[in-house]
Amino acid sequence: MFSWLKKDYPIQKARSFLFYLSLFIFFGGLPFILSFALGYKFNAQTLKFVKTGLIYIKTQPEGARIYLDGKLIPDKSPASIQELLPGVYKITLLLPKYYPWKSEVDVEAGKVSRIDKVILFPLRPDLQQLNQEGFSSFRVDIEKGAICYLDQENKIVYRSNLDGSNFEDIASLPEKFGQINGWDVSADRSKLFVFNAHQISVILLDSRDDYTYSDSFVYLDYPQEKIIKIFWHSDNYHLIVLTNRHVAVIESRPQAKPVNLVELSKEPTEASYDNKRQVLYFSDSQRSPDGFSYNNLYKLELSPEFFLLERLMKKKINE
Amino acid sequence: MNKARVLKRVFEIIPGSLSWGIIILLIILSVKYPIASAIVIITFDFYWIIRTIYLTTLLIMAHRQISCQKGEDWLGRCLSLGQQKNWLDLYQLVIFPIYNEGLEVLRPSLTALSMSHYPKEKFIVVMAFEERGSRAHDNALALEKEFGSKFGAYLSTFHPDNLPGESRTKGANATWAAKAAKKFIDARGIGCEHVIVSCFDADTCVEPEYFGCLSYHFLTSDKPHQASYQPMPVYNNNIWQAPSFARLVEISSSFCQMIESMRLEKFVTFSSHSMSFKTLVEVDYWPRNMISDDSVIYWKGFLHYNGDYRVVPLYITVSMDVAYSNNIWRTMVVQYKQKRRWAWGVENFPFVAIGFMKNNNISLFKRLRRLFHLLESHVSWAIWAVILVVIGPLPIFFGGRLFSQMSIAYNLPKITGLLFQFTLLTSLTWIFLSWTILPPRPRGVSWFKNVLLILEWFFVPFIILILGSFPALDAQSRLMLAKYMEFNPTLKGNKVL
Repeated sequence: MFSWLKKDYPIQKARSFLFYLSLFIFFGGLPFILSFALGYKFNAQTLKFVKTGLIYIKTQPEGARIYLDGKLIPDKSPASIQELLPGVYKITLLLPKYYPWKSEVDVEAGKVSRIDKVILFPLRPDLQQLNQEGFSSFRVDIEKGAICYLDQENKIVYRSNLDGSNFEDIASLPEKFGQINGWDVSADRSKLFVFNAHQISVILLDSRDDYTYSDSFVYLDYPQEKIIKIFWHSDNYHLIVLTNRHVAVIESRPQAKPVNLVELSKEPTEASYDNKRQVLYFSDSQRSPDGFSYNNLYKLELSPEFFLLERLMKKKINE
Repeated sequence: MNKARVLKRVFEIIPGSLSWGIIILLIILSVKYPIASAIVIITFDFYWIIRTIYLTTLLIMAHRQISCQKGEDWLGRCLSLGQQKNWLDLYQLVIFPIYNEGLEVLRPSLTALSMSHYPKEKFIVVMAFEERGSRAHDNALALEKEFGSKFGAYLSTFHPDNLPGESRTKGANATWAAKAAKKFIDARGIGCEHVIVSCFDADTCVEPEYFGCLSYHFLTSDKPHQASYQPMPVYNNNIWQAPSFARLVEISSSFCQMIESMRLEKFVTFSSHSMSFKTLVEVDYWPRNMISDDSVIYWKGFLHYNGDYRVVPLYITVSMDVAYSNNIWRTMVVQYKQKRRWAWGVENFPFVAIGFMKNNNISLFKRLRRLFHLLESHVSWAIWAVILVVIGPLPIFFGGRLFSQMSIAYNLPKITGLLFQFTLLTSLTWIFLSWTILPPRPRGVSWFKNVLLILEWFFVPFIILILGSFPALDAQSRLMLAKYMEFNPTLKGNKVL
C-alpha cells in the first residue's frame, strides 16, 4: 500500500519517522502526565505508583524561603511542593527582616493543602510617633484626615494631620471643669464638647462659624441628672444627651434648655448614633405585666425635619 | 424514503452528531464528573501539544520544499526528459469558472497566465461564464479582445441556468465548460490523454513556472492519469490591503494546505488544482450538484481507479485573493461564510462512504482508513478549538469545593498553561514562515502593517474559535439536519468570487 509514497517521495520516510516518534511520545508520556496530574508518584523501590498530595504556599510578601521538615526546597513562595506522601509535614517560611512563619500541614493523597493566606510581618514594624505634646486621649477623623488630642492635665486640645504633621494647639479647656468623662469633635470640626457627670462645655474651634457664642465657653448644666453619653447631632449644633433618666436634645448655646425626648427606666448601658441617618440606638429596660424586667434595644429617629424638634423645644421653653 | 436515501441521511448525520456528541459529553462530564473531564482535557491538551509540534515540523518541511524549488527551471527539466516523454505533446486546458466576477478580478488572472514560461500555443483557455451573470457577455467580449490572441485557443462558454440534475454550483459551470472544451479538443484530433486540465478559481494568479512544473510532474509520474496535481494556494493578491484577522486566517489556510501536502496518504485536492483531462472525462467531470467540487473530483478519481489515485503536491504557489469587506464586522461575516463553505466539504463523507460501500475492489482496510481520516479531520476541525478555549476551564468552574482541593484541579490550569506556551513557541515559527511567503509591501501601505502582522497572531485563540470551529459546527449541523447549503461565492474586497 502507498508504494508510490516511498518511491516518489523519500521525504515521506522522514515524515513517517516523525509521526511514529510523536505517537511514541504521546503514548509514552501520557501515563506520566496523567499520573502527575492526579498526584501519583512512581516509587522506584517498590516499582509501584503511590498516590501523593501537594502543598501550595503563597505568602505576602512573596519570595520567602520554604523549609519542609527542616529541609530547604529550591522554590520560593509562591510555590507548590508536589508528590508528597500523605502525612504531616512541618513547614517553615523565612524571609529576611520578617518574623518566621511555622506550622504543621496535613497532606492527604490526591489533594492540595493550601497555605495561601500567610502574611509575614516585619521584624521592625514601621512605627512612628505622631504626638509632639502629652495628651490623655485622642480622636481620629479618617475622612477629614485629622487627629485631635486632649490633654486633661493641662486643659489643652491639639490637632494634627494623620501622619502627625501640622501638630498645633487649637483650643483650651475651661479651667474649673473637673474630671472629664468624655469628649468629641463635631463632624465639621468647628466645635468640641467635653462633659462630666453634671456639666457640658462646648469649645469653639473655628471662629468663622455662624453660631452665636459667648466669648468664653458655653456651659450647660445638668444638676438633677447624671450625664452618661453625648453625641453631636448631624447639624453640628445640637447635642444628643443620654442621662441616667432621659434621652434629651440640647442646643450648644448659652442658657439652652434640654428637651427630654424619652424617659428611661434605667441608666443606658450602651448607645450608638448614626450620624448619616440621624438615628440613635440605645438600650433600656421595660417591666412586663409578670413583674420581670426585660432589656430592649430602641431606635430613635431624629428627623431631618428639624423644625418639629425646634417647635417642641420652643414649647418646652415657654412652659 | 428509499433505502439509498436513508443510507445517505445516516452518513450525513454522523459527523455533526459526533462533533456535538463529544462537546455535549465533555460539558456534562465537566459538570457531573469534573475529575473525569479534567483527565480527558489533559489528555487532549497533551495530544494537541504533540500534534502542533508534529504539524509545525511538517510545515517547515513543506516550506523548505517550496524554497528549494523556487526559481527552478521546470521547462528545462522537461526538456531534459528527452523524446520518450515529450512534453510538447501536452496541452494545457485552463478553465476559469466565473460566477459574477468583474474584469478587475479576471484580468490579473489572465495576465498572469499569459506570462507563463510555457509555449502559449499549447494553452486552451476557457472562460466559463454563468449565463445568468449580469455582465457575462460584455466581459467575455472584452476579455476575448484583450487575451484571445495570446493563447493557442481561447473559448468563452456560458452555462445555462437551471439545467436538470444541477445545482447552482461552481462544479456545474466547470463541467459545462469542460464538455465544450472536449468538443473543441476532439474536433482538432487531440487525444484527451495529452491534455492536462487545470480548474482555477477566478482570482487565481499562477507563477510563470507553474505549467512547466505541472508538466514535469505529470510526465515523471508512474501513473500520470491516476493523479491530481495540487499547487500551494497563497492569498497574496491583496494580502497587504486585507484586515489583520482576515490575513491571519488565510495565511493559516495556506499553511494547513502546505502541511497536508506532506501527508500524502490523506492529501485531497483543494481549490485550484490540475489533473488529467482523460481522467476527468472518464469520471464524468466535476459533480454538478455539490459545492465542494474541488475535493469530490479527487474522490471520484479514487473510486474510479479503485483506490489507486493520489494527489501529487506541486511545491509552487498559486496566488488568490483574501476574502474581506469594507469593515471589520462584514469581513468577519464574509470570512465566516467562506470558512463554512470550506467546511461544507463534510458532504464528502456520505459521498465517499456510499462510494466505498459499492466498491469492493478497494481493500477494506484502505476504505476504513480513508473514511476515518475524512471523518476525523472534519470532527477535529469542529471541536478542537471548543475543547481548548471553552471546555478546558469548565471543570474548574463547575468542579465545586471538593474538586478544587484535588491535585488534578491544581494541575489542570498549569498543564493548560503549558499548552499555550508551546502553542506560542510554534506560533513564533508560523510568524516567521508567514513573513517568508509574503509578497513585498506595496507602496502606500504603512510600515505599521509589519507590526500588525506579528501582533495579529496573539488573536489566534479567538480566531480559531470564531472562524475555525464555529463554521465547521455550523456546516455539520446543517448537513445533519438536511438544511443543504447552496453555493455562496465569497465577496473579496470589492470583488465577488
